[in-house]
Amino acid sequence: MSDIRHSLLRRDALSAAKEVLYHLDIYFSSQLQSAPLPLVDKGPAELLEEFLFQVPKERGAPPKRLNSLQELQLLEIMCNYFQEQTKDSVRQIIFSSLFSPQGNKADDNRMALLGKLVSMAVAVCRVPVLECAAFWLQRTPAVFCVRLAQALVDDYCNLVPGSIQTLKQIFSASPRFCCQFITAVTALYDLSSDDLIPPSDLLELIVSWIFEDPRLILITFLNTPIAANLPIGFLELTPLTGLIRWCVKAPLAYKRRKKASLSNGHPTSKIAKDSTEGDDGDCHQLYSKLHLSVLQVLMMLQGHLTEKNLYGRLGLIPFDHVVPLVEEINRLSDELNPLNASKEIELALDRLAQALQVAMASGALLCTRDDLRTVCSRLPHNNLLQLVISGPVQQPAHSALPPGFYPHIHTPPLGYPAHAAHPALPAHPALPAHPVQTFIPGMTFPYRPIR
Amino acid sequence: MAALCDPPGSGSPPRAPLSPQDLSQELKAFLTGSDPTLGTPLSPPDHARCALRLLRRLPAARHAVLQHLAGLFDDHVCAHLRLRSEIPPNPPSNPLLLPPPAPSALTEVIHEAQRLLLAFIKAKPNAWAPLLASWAVELLGQLSSKYSGRHGARGLNELLQLWMSCEATRTLMDIYAQCLAALIASCPDACVDALLDTSVQHSPHFDWVVAHIGGSFPGTIISRVLSCGLKDFCAHGDAAAAAAGGGADKRVPKLASVVGILGHLASRHGASIKQELLRMFHEGLAPGQHKGTVPFLLQLALMSPPLLGTVAAELVESLKPSVLNQLHQRFSPLPRDELDSTVALLVRLICQTSAGAFRTLQFLLDTAMPASVITQPGLALHDGVREACDRLVALLLLQLQKSVHNRPSASLADGPQRCVPFLEALRGRVAELCAETLRLERKRYLWQHQLLGLLAVYAAPHGAPEALFHLLASAKGQDELALATQLHAVLAASLADLPGSTAALCVRQIHAGALAAPQLAQLLHNLALVVANEDVNEPASLGAQLAPALVLHLPELAQLLLHPSADAAEAAALLLCSLPAPRCLRPAQLHAALRAAVHHFFLALRRAGGAGLCHAARLLEKLSAVTPSAGRAALQLLVEGALRGGNAELFGGAAPGAEAEADGGTKSKPAASLLDTNRRFTAAVDFSAGVWSVFHAGVIGHGLKAPPGSPALGEEEVNRNTHAFLGVLLRCCRVAEPAPPPVPCIGPEAAKTVASALVDSVCPAAAAAAGGELCWPPEEQARSTVERDLGILRRFRQQPLLFPLLRVVAMGRPALCYCSVLLRGLLATLMAHWDACRDGETTASPWHLQASCALVACMAEGSLLPPVLGEVQELFPRLAPFEVRLLLLSVWEYLREHSPLPQRFSFQPHRGLFQRDFAREGDPGKYLVALHGVLHRNVDRLGLLAGRFRS
Repeated sequence: MSDIRHSLLRRDALSAAKEVLYHLDIYFSSQLQSAPLPLVDKGPAELLEEFLFQVPKERGAPPKRLNSLQELQLLEIMCNYFQEQTKDSVRQIIFSSLFSPQGNKADDNRMALLGKLVSMAVAVCRVPVLECAAFWLQRTPAVFCVRLAQALVDDYCNLVPGSIQTLKQIFSASPRFCCQFITAVTALYDLSSDDLIPPSDLLELIVSWIFEDPRLILITFLNTPIAANLPIGFLELTPLTGLIRWCVKAPLAYKRRKKASLSNGHPTSKIAKDSTEGDDGDCHQLYSKLHLSVLQVLMMLQGHLTEKNLYGRLGLIPFDHVVPLVEEINRLSDELNPLNASKEIELALDRLAQALQVAMASGALLCTRDDLRTVCSRLPHNNLLQLVISGPVQQPAHSALPPGFYPHIHTPPLGYPAHAAHPALPAHPALPAHPVQTFIPGMTFPYRPIR
Repeated sequence: MAALCDPPGSGSPPRAPLSPQDLSQELKAFLTGSDPTLGTPLSPPDHARCALRLLRRLPAARHAVLQHLAGLFDDHVCAHLRLRSEIPPNPPSNPLLLPPPAPSALTEVIHEAQRLLLAFIKAKPNAWAPLLASWAVELLGQLSSKYSGRHGARGLNELLQLWMSCEATRTLMDIYAQCLAALIASCPDACVDALLDTSVQHSPHFDWVVAHIGGSFPGTIISRVLSCGLKDFCAHGDAAAAAAGGGADKRVPKLASVVGILGHLASRHGASIKQELLRMFHEGLAPGQHKGTVPFLLQLALMSPPLLGTVAAELVESLKPSVLNQLHQRFSPLPRDELDSTVALLVRLICQTSAGAFRTLQFLLDTAMPASVITQPGLALHDGVREACDRLVALLLLQLQKSVHNRPSASLADGPQRCVPFLEALRGRVAELCAETLRLERKRYLWQHQLLGLLAVYAAPHGAPEALFHLLASAKGQDELALATQLHAVLAASLADLPGSTAALCVRQIHAGALAAPQLAQLLHNLALVVANEDVNEPASLGAQLAPALVLHLPELAQLLLHPSADAAEAAALLLCSLPAPRCLRPAQLHAALRAAVHHFFLALRRAGGAGLCHAARLLEKLSAVTPSAGRAALQLLVEGALRGGNAELFGGAAPGAEAEADGGTKSKPAASLLDTNRRFTAAVDFSAGVWSVFHAGVIGHGLKAPPGSPALGEEEVNRNTHAFLGVLLRCCRVAEPAPPPVPCIGPEAAKTVASALVDSVCPAAAAAAGGELCWPPEEQARSTVERDLGILRRFRQQPLLFPLLRVVAMGRPALCYCSVLLRGLLATLMAHWDACRDGETTASPWHLQASCALVACMAEGSLLPPVLGEVQELFPRLAPFEVRLLLLSVWEYLREHSPLPQRFSFQPHRGLFQRDFAREGDPGKYLVALHGVLHRNVDRLGLLAGRFRS
């Protein structure tokens, strides 16, 4: 490796980068022939960092920087390389050795280059690159995935007007990438602040994708061998949690943004105001559509889980994520309460109740009603939600369903548990003195879960 | 949006059908610069269009496209400049004002790029504006620097004209301005930061950009430039603040560029800059703000004198106690060395302050003053503030001293070479500074005094005399006067001939009428004190040096004796007394001085009881001693003055020829009398005794003329005045003589002067022939001169002072001869009186009796009469009038036979005076016959005296 390095040192930045790629290809091709799972040792990685990501190896050595034109050339070369490399395994291993974060200072350059590469691949429709990227998104810590998503959103939603169409087209080219992209984007935009509300272009794009084919959401889940324990710190298997969060929180988050812009006293002209209101109206439509699609997918999920023999074993919507969601809704509704946001709060709670009910029913959310009750006890009153957490009194008689279909949600409502049901829950025992959500035990409801 | 999809003139195909394959073809074309299908190279405009298409489709390529466009703009600028230089400047008009070149293909592409980029900015300002702003500004900087040597434009305006006439640069400028405008409401920091960075990098060539943008967005640019500068300053750390006194410039690179930009804007937007700076200052004090604000502003001010000038004055106004306390709170926790450097920086700044320097000084002194017992209303100052200010003042003085005394020595004469604006601004405030110093407030006056010294050295050669003048003019009392001498002591080493120029300045100021009467008096008084305090042991003291300098101005100072204000005149007299005798003085000047002194003397006499009298007398004496002629002039003036006009009243007399005007003239004197004024400056003019004069006893029908009113003054006062006058006269007589005779006698020359003055005054008509009439005619001939004689008698009667004066003349031995006219006239008239008198006793006409006695006694004193004959007046009170006449007749006879000529006197060297030897002149017996007859006739009463008159 050191002799290669010496020869590279003599070259200019661009040709050195090209040469590194060439050597890497040779190296991994030969490795793969000898062993099915080649070890990526340090030598090539260091070469990459020095000549591709321009991190000077010796202190004080003047870094050879590619200028923007050379960088563009390099990107094109890389695109073409991945396109022309026929072996999937070689492609994958080279992609991951190039762009897997190493936790060193080359990561910034690495991520920047990756962002540009994927952005370019989207534009010129290089499917292999997108597939590799989808794979990368699956195996990389979420923080980095979010950065890639941010780069793409910046390029296609924030920068060039109308370029969102380009992004839309990759739906047909690489649905797998689209699915991972949606997961990353929902992880990025969690509506926790005004800046983290998804741009309307992006929202429209995602809704149009999902609406066209709701199964898109499940592609990764269906095509990946599932381990029972999902690793922590990575993207989820499906964007379901994120999308539920979007639908539920959207009414409140948009209301809050409106309030902020009003109280800031920005002298918004009438036209601008109208346009934002129109925008918001469009968005509400989109969220409605999205909510419907999500519910539909959840309904579908039951079958897939059963197929994979994961029913009741794999919570695709982890309860850990529901808890903060409920809390945020609680906080937001408190925040907005004086502002006559009852309509928005109602809508959000309705959506929450629907999503919870359907998720529990389909086995995507694994929890007891007691857990739910504890979590939701402080929320403002909502009829539907109350129905959901009190549960059906009637024993359902669905012959089509396997026995024990509802085991976990059929605990009889016997009052409040003496202890917090979930360890992650902050200690706020719902005292009987002032319960917001009144629960009347033994009350009967003519209620059946939807199918 | 539609415009974006198909920009007019781009000629590109509509975007929608462009497939990914086409796009990759475009990319290849852009990267290789050749047509992918044909393989032929693309022309630059086509290449650029290809780039623009990529920009619209391939976001990842935007940096590369912008880089390519940068090259395009560069080419265009190059072409533009070449075109400009190729066209010969045939019309001698400004070569910059060329007709715009025909739009080339390149220009069109540039326009396309501009349209596209502007549309992007408009559509997505938050994403594009920062990116494009920094791109445009950096490119502008590069272009400005790169072609700086090629265009030959000089000055900001020419540069602006040149670059704005170039399509490429104008476009870039437009793009930047649009970016700024798009973000101006939200957060233009990114744009301004780019501007600052570039400005640092390409400073002199880039100025035109800053000027142009600053002119378009003054408010934003000013506040943003300041806040970016502050951020940068703070980011460079407290280390920079610590070294703020030294070479912080390198460490805080943006500061220079901030200064440059603000400097550009200062001319037109000075007010808003000032507002912004002050706002920043006050906001920076608020708790929680970054503490770099104040050091930043200080540093900024240090680097830019114009900014300092704009801000300093108002800043001082706003430093109220609350603000100062805040400042103290802010700075007190800082380490010692940091504080020191801040103070040093402040001192430098204050030295640079010009506008409002005096106000600043006042503020510093006020604040540094120890707290008085009386608490002032309002917020109390923290003690720390006071101490800090105290220290600041001390250091300021030290620094000023350094800068004043370190100047090249030649500068003391050539005028200031290194300007210290602070002192420069204080030059005009010397008077106020002096006045404040003289208040002698604790501590404060010490600082002010020191500052005065520095200012004096700095503003040489005029500063020092001015300061001394002001101190001398306003000092009251020894303590305050000491400030002047101390100042002189400080400056004597560094400034030559300080007393001389001070004296000259004082005199100039006096003559310019710059001082009101009380101040003038004070000044003269102070000068006299200083001169009088001269210490013999210290030849360098102010007094010792000032005296000779003032003597040179004696003529001017003497005129002050005539000042309408009594105080001023007296002070002038005091000063002149204190001065040593002048060495050389032109007679005319001396005479004028004498005249003034005499006038002053009489004024002093008139003011009765003033201490000024003795100064006036001493002054006269001193002046008389200068030359013999001066002495004579003094005597003459004194006599003339005493007998003239209003002065006669002082000695119990009435003015000669004043009868005419006696009714109103002398009693209610108008405030300004031309006659009086004339008398001050010219010799007396007396028309009273011409041949045409008529004397009468009254107007027919109105009865007798009213006798002159009783003298205005009491007898005691008259005596005192007479005494004083004679005292002065005698002293003048003594000093006028080079070798005066022993005490009771006076010098003959002086006496002669007095005599001639007397004659001139009493009988001007006779004065012309005075020499010829020393000889006495027969008694009968006196009838021809009866009118003149009556006039003389009347004068003697009106002016009692004449007899003492005659006595004075008599004491200077031969001099009485020159008064023959008067003696003769008096004697003749008295004889006529006694002849006509029908009373039995001489005491019935007391004045005539007294006059007769005094006359004879006087002639005896003057050795005009031999011993026995000279004593007959003792008998007069006991005789009958006709007997008196007989005796007077024999006196006349003697005088006719022995004419009173000076030749009859001879000088006695051993006694030092002239004496007349009557023994040689024959027996006086025949003139005593009448005497003896009278004795016989009255032997019953006068027998006792017979022995006394035996010859």
